[in-house]
Amino acid sequence: MISELFGWLFARLPFGDGLRGLVSPRTVRSLKRGLNRNALAKVGIVVVVIVLLVAVFAPLVAPDKPGTQNLEEARLPPLGFTKATVQEVPVQENGSVVFEDGEILTENRTVYENATIAHPLGTDGNGRDILSRLIYGARVSLLVGFLGTALAMFVGVSVGLVAGYYRGKVDDVLMRSADVMLAFPSIVLAIALIGVLGDSLEQSIPDPFVQSGLSEAVRSAIGLPTGMPETTTLPGTIIVVVALVNWVWFARVARGEALSLREQSYVKAARALGASDAKILARHVLPNAITPILVLGTIQIAAIILLESALSFLGFSSANVSWGFDIALGRQYQSTAWWIAAMPGLAIVITVVGLNLVGDWLRDALDPGIEGEGGV
Amino acid sequence: MSFARFLTKRLLQGAFVVWGVVTIVFGLRVIAPGDPANVLLPPDVDPEVRRQVVADLGLDEPLHVQYWEFISGIPVGDLGTSLTTGTEVTARVARSIPATLELAVAATVVAVIIAIPLGVVSATNRHEAPDYGATLFSLAGISTPNFWLGVMLIIILSVQLNWFPTSQRAIGLPAVLTFLFSGELEAAGAGFVTWLWYITLPAITLGTYFTALITRLTRSGMLDELGKTYVRASRAKGLPESLVRYRHVLRNTLIPIITVVGLQLGTLIGGAVITEFVFDWPGLGQVLINSINSRDWPMVQGSLIVISVGFVVVNIVVDTLYSYVNPRVGFDG
Repeated sequence: MISELFGWLFARLPFGDGLRGLVSPRTVRSLKRGLNRNALAKVGIVVVVIVLLVAVFAPLVAPDKPGTQNLEEARLPPLGFTKATVQEVPVQENGSVVFEDGEILTENRTVYENATIAHPLGTDGNGRDILSRLIYGARVSLLVGFLGTALAMFVGVSVGLVAGYYRGKVDDVLMRSADVMLAFPSIVLAIALIGVLGDSLEQSIPDPFVQSGLSEAVRSAIGLPTGMPETTTLPGTIIVVVALVNWVWFARVARGEALSLREQSYVKAARALGASDAKILARHVLPNAITPILVLGTIQIAAIILLESALSFLGFSSANVSWGFDIALGRQYQSTAWWIAAMPGLAIVITVVGLNLVGDWLRDALDPGIEGEGGV
Repeated sequence: MSFARFLTKRLLQGAFVVWGVVTIVFGLRVIAPGDPANVLLPPDVDPEVRRQVVADLGLDEPLHVQYWEFISGIPVGDLGTSLTTGTEVTARVARSIPATLELAVAATVVAVIIAIPLGVVSATNRHEAPDYGATLFSLAGISTPNFWLGVMLIIILSVQLNWFPTSQRAIGLPAVLTFLFSGELEAAGAGFVTWLWYITLPAITLGTYFTALITRLTRSGMLDELGKTYVRASRAKGLPESLVRYRHVLRNTLIPIITVVGLQLGTLIGGAVITEFVFDWPGLGQVLINSINSRDWPMVQGSLIVISVGFVVVNIVVDTLYSYVNPRVGFDG
């Protein structure tokens, strides 16, 4: 059934008619063949689609508001677990406390707290619902992952194509500066750039589901708490920084492609016919270089999500709902409530595994001859 | 190309990259908002005092003079003084190098010891349980953020089971070696055990991504090699399978892995920054993060330069080694 579903998708969505100009029929065939051979790729696609849907429709699917504190319900365990804490409680006799030597007599008693269905993954140190925070955290991670990759791709591909197409001095200057960028470990360069940029580029973007009143209507109809946040943080600094750190990989791949494509006869023919360099790059070089660039893009989304989570774990992001940030919060409760740090990490692992599976599939099926780069 | 020419070329390239790194690091401070003097002074300070402090820091000079002073101090090891503590940056950074180096080397050792056998087992048992296990492990390993792994190891192995300390570095390897060379063998032994006890979790945390990566590379490299004709030829002439696998195939597999390991050392150093933060490990990463947070620019610059220059040096060494062990590449690269 699943494979029928994929067949249906293939016939319609991007790989079918929609982008026929961009992806050749041969590419589509090898993608399909790769998918049939590789069950894990299907798992990856399903995971990525689910995470995407959850992130987009966060205000509709989150069981609770991500920011609402409720200290009465702090540190509730996830479903299936019970939290046992030893508490010092006053000894009571006939409904009143007992005094001994002028002090209230106390005893140690083990108190059990059970999970509640309202908080399936438990609550954090301030009583906020962990599942809801993960759902909203997915937005931040995916926004940074996709926008950061898009920006890095734009910068890197522009630089790489120009360098590879013109060669000579332009190439030398651009590629030597790429070498210098690569001398910084990515997280180190990112930290330094954040030190320079501060949080000057942070934005709040309105949430269309909340603004239009749709999510409130749906939520109150099915009895979920209303009053979801009206805006989502767009961590502009982080997006710019991860792009500045990771454009180099795209530049290298695009340059390599341009170097070989410029010698192709159709490019030479276009040049002989008097086409401008800009037109040759856009019409002849870029479309033929797109496969390895897109494969690298998939791998880079995973790498950038990992980088974003590391930066917000270290406290360098201003997003106050984020997987990395929540792990940092959970560290304070490492001896009393393990799930606060554990759950956001699982969300990262699941998402990144999904993206890596999709990336492996694309790479194996299309064999663009690039190595996966990235990681924190 | 002769070895001497190869090395000269690589060193010149390296020198250029180092110059680029130093220039970027200088530029970062220049374009960073906020006056470094603000770190030292209260907001309502007398303008005359403020001018004096700015002059003492050399910040009233034209940019090219500042740049020259900055860059000319580096060859003689002068990276300025910290704005917050007044200590010399060079001394502070030098003091943190052993901790980072120990961590990086320990993680690499962990990775190589686990990954290569795992990759070999995986490739030689293709499509069987060990292969699936190893593939799953390496997929999880490259997808797990190391800071989270560190936090989970602390929660499970330190807090719950109490097997390892939760953080810090009680003793450094240099101290252990000092004991050893001064003949205090008992102290050296005890010190080494303590060192090992403290470094285990950070090394696993830092090494896991690397382990997963090398496992993947070993597996795919070995599968590639196993499909080549020389393997069929050696089997056909009756060489024992173990000889074919380990003498011929594994050797040829390992050579390209050296390059990737070298290229990924940057990732390893970057990972060390985060691992140090998680385990309160007193290395370069700690210096970098603390000084960024306190806007202590001379310290930021010093740690950035040492980290990147270290990376450049490692890359040159790896390149040279690679050409040395692989006669097919030679020194033309």
